[in-house]
Parts: sequence; C-alpha cells; structure tokens
Amino acid sequence: MQAISERFKISPFLVFFIITDMQIGIGVLGYQRIIAKSAGYDAWISIIIAGIVGHIIIWMMYYILQKTGGNFVESNQRIFGKFIGNALNFILVLYYTALTISVLRTYIEVIQVWMFPELETWAFAAALMLLTIYIVLGGFRVVVGVCFFGIILPAYLIFMFAYTFEYANFRMLLPIFEHAVLDILKATKDMTLTILGFETLLIYYPFIKNPEQSKKWAHLAMLSTTLLYAVIAVITFAYFSEKQLQKHIWPTLSIWKTVEMPFIERFEYIGIANWTIVILPDMCLAIWCASRIMKQITNIRQKHSLVILATLCTIAASFIKTREDVNVLNDIVANIGFYFLYAFVPLMFTIIYVMHKVRKKA
Amino acid sequence: MFKWFRKKQNKQKQASPINTTWELLNVLAQSMDFEKQTFTNANSQQHFWMSYIVPLVDFEVVQKNILPFLLHSPIETLDDIKQMIPVEDIIITSNVTTVEEKMHEGYLFVQFNEFANKGALIKAQRNVIRNVSIPEVEFSVVGPKETFLESLEVNLHLLRKRIPCNHLTVKILKIGKLSKTKIAIIYLKGIADEENVNTVTQRISEIDFDQITDSSYIVQLISDNQNSPFPQLLDTERPDRVAAILAEGKVAIIVDGSPHALIGPTTLVEFFSSFEDYFLNWYIASFFRLIRLFSVAFSVLITPIYVATLSYHYELIPKDLLGTLITSRREIPFPPILEALFLELTIELLREAGARLPTKVGQTIGIVGGIVIGTASVEAGLTSNVLLILVALAALASFTTPVYKMGNTIRLMRFPFLLFAELWGLLGVVFCFCIFMGHLLQLTSLGRPFLEPIYPLRLTDLKDALIRLPFSNQSTRPQQLHPNQLFRFSRKKAKQKKDIDE
Repeated sequence: MQAISERFKISPFLVFFIITDMQIGIGVLGYQRIIAKSAGYDAWISIIIAGIVGHIIIWMMYYILQKTGGNFVESNQRIFGKFIGNALNFILVLYYTALTISVLRTYIEVIQVWMFPELETWAFAAALMLLTIYIVLGGFRVVVGVCFFGIILPAYLIFMFAYTFEYANFRMLLPIFEHAVLDILKATKDMTLTILGFETLLIYYPFIKNPEQSKKWAHLAMLSTTLLYAVIAVITFAYFSEKQLQKHIWPTLSIWKTVEMPFIERFEYIGIANWTIVILPDMCLAIWCASRIMKQITNIRQKHSLVILATLCTIAASFIKTREDVNVLNDIVANIGFYFLYAFVPLMFTIIYVMHKVRKKA
Repeated sequence: MFKWFRKKQNKQKQASPINTTWELLNVLAQSMDFEKQTFTNANSQQHFWMSYIVPLVDFEVVQKNILPFLLHSPIETLDDIKQMIPVEDIIITSNVTTVEEKMHEGYLFVQFNEFANKGALIKAQRNVIRNVSIPEVEFSVVGPKETFLESLEVNLHLLRKRIPCNHLTVKILKIGKLSKTKIAIIYLKGIADEENVNTVTQRISEIDFDQITDSSYIVQLISDNQNSPFPQLLDTERPDRVAAILAEGKVAIIVDGSPHALIGPTTLVEFFSSFEDYFLNWYIASFFRLIRLFSVAFSVLITPIYVATLSYHYELIPKDLLGTLITSRREIPFPPILEALFLELTIELLREAGARLPTKVGQTIGIVGGIVIGTASVEAGLTSNVLLILVALAALASFTTPVYKMGNTIRLMRFPFLLFAELWGLLGVVFCFCIFMGHLLQLTSLGRPFLEPIYPLRLTDLKDALIRLPFSNQSTRPQQLHPNQLFRFSRKKAKQKKDIDE
C-alpha cells in the first residue's frame, strides 16, 4: 500500500466534525423512545454510560492504530492470516454498506411518514446515492468537507428545543434510579445505533495529518455528542409523559412541531428537509469506508466498487417496504455494530496489547 | 469515421516555410496595405529599401525621427543606422522570423540590398489607445477612479506606478497561433508562492488556441474545472485592486488587448467582497458584506421556497399569512411553478434586453418591463402580487454581487433550485443545495481549495472573509496562498495601546 500523499490528508481537528456527524446521523430523531422502553426516564444515565464506554473504545482504537501503523485492514490480515483477515474485512464492507442502507432507508421512511407519503423510495434513494457518488468521487477531503458543513449548517436546529421549555416539566425525571441496573444497561445497548459511527476512524485514520493530535478531538467529539444526546433526552423526557413517548416514533420531530414563529408553523418540515445535510455525510463516509476497504483487499478500483456499492444500496433500499423491515434492518446494523465495537475492538486491543508485552519481554 | 477526419486534417496544405526576407516581403506585398519604398541617401548616395505595414506605423515618428536622418546623415553601413537615428529600439538582424514578428508590431524594415536577408528594424509603432477612464463594472463612490485599458503597456504602467518595488516581477508569454497575444503574469517575488506562479505559467504556456481575444478566454482555458458554472479566477478592471492583491501574495494575469486583469488563486467569498469594502470603516464594510451574503442566499432561494411551500407545504404558513397568500393567488390559473418560471424568465428577458441595447434605450426597457409588464401581469391574473414582489426583490438582491461573472452564475443557479423545489418541495431545495455544496467543495482555484477559509477552516483567514476586521488585525497574508512572507507589517506596533494622555 503506498503512503497517502499530504495533499489528501485532513487537519486533525476535522476528526471532531467527522465523528459528531457520523454519530448524530439519523438516530437522534428517535432514540429517546427506544432507550426509554427499558430504562424509563432513567435512560439518560444509560446515555452517559454509553458515552463513557465510547471513550474507552476510542482510546482502544487509537492504541490499536498507533501500534499497528495506522492501517486497520492490513493489521487484520496480519493478525488473523490472509484468509480470515480478509473475511473479517469483507464483513466490514458489508457492515458499512448496511449502515449506508440503514441511514438511507430510515431517512426516506421519515420523509414518507411526515412529508411525502407518495414519495417513491427508489427515486429518492437513487438521487441521494448519485449525489453520494458525486461527492465521494471528489475524494476523502470532500467527504470530510460535507461532514463539516453537516454539523455547521444545521447547528441552528439545537435552539429549536428551547421552544419546549414552556411546556416542559423536569420533575418527571424524578425519582432517579427507579430502574434496575440491568435495565439501564439494556438501554445502553439500545443506544448503540445512535452512538455508532465513530468506528469509521479505523479506516480513515491514515488520512489524518499528525494523527496523534486528533486524539483529543475524537474524545471531544464523543463528549459533545454524549452531552447533546443527554440534553435532548432530558428535554424530551420533560416534555412527554412516559406513556406518550412510546407513541412517538420520532420524538425529536414531534418536539419541533411545537416551534412557532410569526412566519413559520410546522417547523419539523424544515427540520426534516435540513436533515438531508446531516445524513448525506453519513452515507458518503460509510460508503467511502466500504469502497476503501474493497480497494485494499481486492484489486478493484475504488471508483468502480463505489458505483457498485451505491447501486447495491439503492436496490436494497427500494426492496425494504414496511416499517417492520426498516426496524429489522436497523436492528441488524445495531447488532453488528454492537459486536464490532464492544467485542471485536476490545479483542483486537487485547491481542495487540499482549503481543507488545510479549515482544518487549523477548 | 474518425480516421476519415484525421486524413482530412493531414491533407491540410502546409504553408511553405519562408526562408529569406525577400520571400517574406513578397508574401507581405500580397496585401495592399504593405508598402515598400526606395530612397537614396543624399550624403553617401546609398540606395535603401524601406518596407512596412502601413496601418501599424506611426508616420509622425517616421517623418520626424527616421526619414530625415536616413536621407541626410552620413550613413554607409547598417550599423551606422544605429548610431545616427534617434529611435530607442533598432535591431540589425538577418533572422527572418524576427523580421516577420517585428514588422507585425509596427517596425520599419530597412535594407541596403533588396535581396539580402540583413536589414535594420526601426521601431515606429503606432498605438491607438483610449484614455484612462472611470470604472464602469466595478464602480466605487470613494477611492481611485482609473481602469485598465486595452494595452498591456499602459496596464503595466498603471500597476508599476502603484507598486514602485523591484520585487514586482512580470513574465510575458505569447499565446495564440494567430493572435500572438502577449500575456503578462505579474507577482511580487519573495512574497507570492512560487508554486502558484509556476502553476499559472505552466497552464498558460500549455494553451493551444489560435485567437485570444480577451482575458475571459484565458479564464476558461486555464480554470481547474472548466465545466463549472462558477468562475474560478477573479477578474477586475481596477489597477488598485490588482495592486492590493499582489501585496497579499496573489498572482495577476493581464492579457494584451483586454481591460480586465485576472486574479488567482481566489476563493468563493472573495467574489462577494467589493473593493470598496477596504475604503470604508470596518463595521460598515462588514455589514455590507453580510448584506451581500444574505442577498445572494435570498435571491437564489426565495422563489424556490415560494414554489415549494405553495405546492407542497402550505401547512408551514401561519393562518394570518395564509390569508394574504390566498387573496393574492385566488384568481391565478397556473400552479406556482409556472407562475414563478414566467416571472423569472421575464426578469431574465429584461436583463438580457437591457444588456444588449444601448444605454439610453435600455432605461426605457427597464421602465417598460418593471412597471408595465409587472402591473399588467398581476392585473391580468397571470401572476400573484406576492410572487411579483419576491421576484423583484430577488432580482434586486442578485445585483448586489460585486463581480459581474458571479452575478451571472447566481442568475443561473435559481433555475435548478426551482425545478427541484417543484419536484420534492423543501426537500428538493435542500437536495439541490447539497449538490452545489458538493460541487463547491470539489472546486479549486489554481489547485487551492475554493471554499477556503470556511473549508478547510482557517480561522486566521476569516479576518477578511465574511466580515472584514480592521486593518490592525490584517497583519498576516492569507494562509491559503502559502505566502513566502507571512507578515505584512508588525502586528505589535499596530496593536499598541496608549495610556491616558500619552
């Protein structure tokens, strides 16, 4: 593998934008209901636990990457052998593709439910994938640029939560620790899909200038998304009653409905439309990662695998028809993500840690 | 089929090369504005032949400074000409190409022997240039009021006068098989990044084109992405602006015969900064820049949003406002998209007609269009009042872009937005925005990112981007240019704070 030219590398601080954007993605529209299912209104504790675990995983990932020279795909091959390593890498390709499909299809579902019930899935999926291809063809720097704007431009949406304060009742959160520890941990697991996304770091790590310096930005990103999730969750819990919350698939959108301005009602329309800017970088980066791994494990040019994967995503997204199917897909992605983050990464970490200890002794 | 084309190209008759000046003069003589005269020197009885292309020669110079000396001074050899004639540029040569080139620039060719190659080229150029005038495209109320002209020499003179500095370096290339246009690449050595200069030089020297008429040809030929609607080099007619950007470390290109200089590498935000911003207090300048930014967004987005909301999301509109909209649209037979397209196209027609017509008639067109068509179309029930107001405001807003070429791009940009708005409502507007965002992210100007300093984010360069901070904060040159000297002046001195009564 030839070294990546300085021209294609990004500044370390941009890692902050990549990670926050990948994490926020589509999950933030509806995670409140899912975590409240098992942990009730103690679920904000689960968010913080998930955040802490996330920090540990990021720390592990940096350890792995630094010890193996930054190339995760190659180190897989080295540690597990060419065959199993490549199989694992291929699963990663599938995972990132599935992530793209999941984001794409969930977003289209939101649109179909809230804005255009008649919207043809394949048409919008194809349009979004074409745009994704166009952006990814520009290279990693452009993808990161989209991530950057994906945070900067829709940032104003945060202020819209302030409109709920009028109706919020923060006493609903009390008493704290109503639920068993196991329930809270289960909610932590349910957070996976929402918190997912920072594992892309493993793939784009070689594209960071002075990767050492990016560490603090990665942690900062994790910290700010955790805080953001916690704050939004607390606001949601204060706004909805527990039973009512279970009736809203996308509580964030329901909250936006309360926004009223002299010239705009039904603010969620603007929110949903704006969300394109948030999910676009997710798809770009995920599919960039998938095609990048393909390039490393096979001889296919990244351009070609990109087009193939994008077509695959479009077709797959158009075949998923019902709410249940979307849920199943999201569960699958969340499960793979869960085991990848909380089982595979620690496993790799242990192997490499032990290897280094042994090598030092010898 | 391609083979067939290629064959035809090969068959194209190659003009037989000219080897002697005799042949050259014969070829030139085929045109009737060529003159070849014989004279005899009164002193040495030496015959000589003087040939020139009539329209290119200044006869005042010939009669005052050349002919009297040629006829009456003691000239015996060609080298004597150099001694005797009071003209600064005399070349003794037998090189046919030089002779050909110089004669086309307005030199006289003097031979002592009609058949010999050797002769003297005497400069007697005639230059017809208009006077330095007031900027029309980039007019400013305060500040200098001179513009570039169609002559490279004058333009360089205007620049040199503003930067009396021996680092100011000019590279001149000749491009164009037919036009042989002189193209000057200007930069400050030691300040501008050599890489930028090399990129420009290389791209210009690689141009293969027959006729370079204007600097806008060069923009299109050397742009990083030639299929982009966005101009990737800034053009200006103001020598003061060029002098200012040279001091920043940018590279300027001036094309002979074009009153517009090109500036690169440039960024998107630079297209929204008028040079007048630097003549005003920084609060006011920043305010105007923000106004311009807002007006561009407004101008591009307002009609698409109108179409999107009225076609799909009328829930968005509060009750009171909805009443107004309904009243104004009650009798309109068309869907919002047709209504919007109709008005937008009308505005485009007015603009185009105004631009093509002579100024005096143009004004009438504006009045006719603005008042008559606008009012009439509302009264006839073709368009709604509200949309008419929005479209007129959008048109007004689009005129605030200080760079004409960017204004054109913005004119064009609203149409894809309109179509997407009709297709997917607000979602389509955002989608189209994402397309432009992806496109702008990929654009580069001379290899430097076009969206800088926003992406890649360079906080220090933001001092002169969306807002303009005071001059005391402008002590560094833009990082985007990788200047060799980062500091323009001492920051400490500019920032020095004085105590009371000091």
